[in-house]
Amino acid sequence: MRHALLFSLLLAATPASADQLVSGVSQELIQITSNYTGSDIVVFGAVESEPGRDVSGPKDVVVVVRGPEADVTVRRRDRVAGIWINHDAAKLSGMPAYYYLASTRPLKAIAPAEALTHYNIGLQSLQPDSVHSHHDYEPFRQAALRHLTHDGLYTEVPGGVEFLSATLFRAHVPVPAGVTRGQYKVEVYLFRDGDVESAQSTPLFVDQTGLERRLYNFAHNQPLGYGLAVVAMAVIMGWISSLLFRRPA
Amino acid sequence: MEIYLPIAEMSVQWIVILSMGLGVGFLSGLFGVGGGFLLTPLLVFYGIPSGIAVATTLSHITASSISGAVAHWKRRAIDFKMAGVMMIGGLAGTGVGVWLFAIMRRAGQMDLVVSLTYVPMLGIIGAIMLNESVKTLRAWRSGHAPARIHPVNHVWIHGLPLKARFRQSRLYISVIPPLAIGFLVGVMSAIMGVGGGFILVPAMIYLLRMPTSVVIGTSLVQIIGVAIVTTLLQATNNYAVDIVLAAILVVGGVIGAQFGVRAGAKLRGEQIRLLLALLVLAVALRLLWGLLVTPADFYSIAGS
Repeated sequence: MRHALLFSLLLAATPASADQLVSGVSQELIQITSNYTGSDIVVFGAVESEPGRDVSGPKDVVVVVRGPEADVTVRRRDRVAGIWINHDAAKLSGMPAYYYLASTRPLKAIAPAEALTHYNIGLQSLQPDSVHSHHDYEPFRQAALRHLTHDGLYTEVPGGVEFLSATLFRAHVPVPAGVTRGQYKVEVYLFRDGDVESAQSTPLFVDQTGLERRLYNFAHNQPLGYGLAVVAMAVIMGWISSLLFRRPA
Repeated sequence: MEIYLPIAEMSVQWIVILSMGLGVGFLSGLFGVGGGFLLTPLLVFYGIPSGIAVATTLSHITASSISGAVAHWKRRAIDFKMAGVMMIGGLAGTGVGVWLFAIMRRAGQMDLVVSLTYVPMLGIIGAIMLNESVKTLRAWRSGHAPARIHPVNHVWIHGLPLKARFRQSRLYISVIPPLAIGFLVGVMSAIMGVGGGFILVPAMIYLLRMPTSVVIGTSLVQIIGVAIVTTLLQATNNYAVDIVLAAILVVGGVIGAQFGVRAGAKLRGEQIRLLLALLVLAVALRLLWGLLVTPADFYSIAGS
């Protein structure tokens, strides 16, 4: 995995005499265990300038962590016969299950909106691959962004990337409990003069491990055996308790 | 201390879940009810998805019902033939219920179904219990013995065909009413996550006119059968049973139930029943509130 960790992807748009971006993550595999309450990974890197090149212009680093693609169903409540029920729905396919963005400055100050949309950077530029809805889906997309932000699954942190020296930078990325399992992408972009000069992408895997993983697989691969195991557990515990706490008849 | 639920795919404070199991187990030991009707809404309030709550509560019911049924079985206070007939109805009911459950969940209406079925049910039960305990407390205070409720003589039940003899219950009645009662309770088990004892017991006493001595044991056997089959159906059809959640609830439930039985022997029943009535009404009002009040956010999301 180590060779895949660094230098895995450079965007095609990199100019010939650009600054070189080198980055890595502190952990390439996160395992969710029974006592997992969330953890942090550190994305770090360095910007190496070509010798003799003028580096006085402002440079910005944006770190984006994208979760695996998921379908998000957004439902809108409407009042029907006096009670509030889920009425209209929109299914947004291909939204990231997790999205964390850290940058040296607010995105607006780093690049114009068109550039951000082009590189798909920032919550507002997140678009579903396909939409299943009878309506204009924009209010549903906004609701999804709002809810996922509230749940801590979508986050934008301006100032979340700090430069430790002229060339070294670092960002903390939280991986909260309740994130989806699967392959994540850690993307690091170097911006100069409002455009991407260099970029890198590194995979990150989040997986259930140990007992949790086995139980999940058990439930989905052999549901009948799993159901029988749950029933057996309940029957045995109920029976044992009646023996342990035998009350006087 | 948090623990990760592999099927619900979320972390919970296990001490909170254990306390819910203990508390509901305590009440079920105290009052002789299964407690599913309180446990499911409690889990939903905590944030467990409705579907998982409904399907997993049945394990708690299985364990506490077995714990209770063993004692009745030793006293030979179970009419297995009656339980068997009701279970046939119950299995048909739970099959229909699990099918409805899958449709509702796909349509995103599981929360609505839980609220819509629980509000009238808890409202009615709470009101009846409140009324009875207030009456009894008043009767004690004024020095009169509380009035007894007399079972109504349902002549139409005796006109139905397919009669059978239930020796343990000393009854010769049609099998249609027990089948119908079992069916109804089976549907409720699947879509509401309840054992149905609070329906079964009065129905067996007032409708079937079974002797009170065999009613509890027989209803427990029927509840165990339906709860086990519903758990299996929910696991195979809807993947909605969380074994870690079930284990915590079961441990809390069986321990709580034993303390409840002991406390029940010492405490004044009427006053506690008044408190339970208020608790049941409070849960009903909380669910009703969610249906009637304009939501702060009209949109809600669900993952794939």
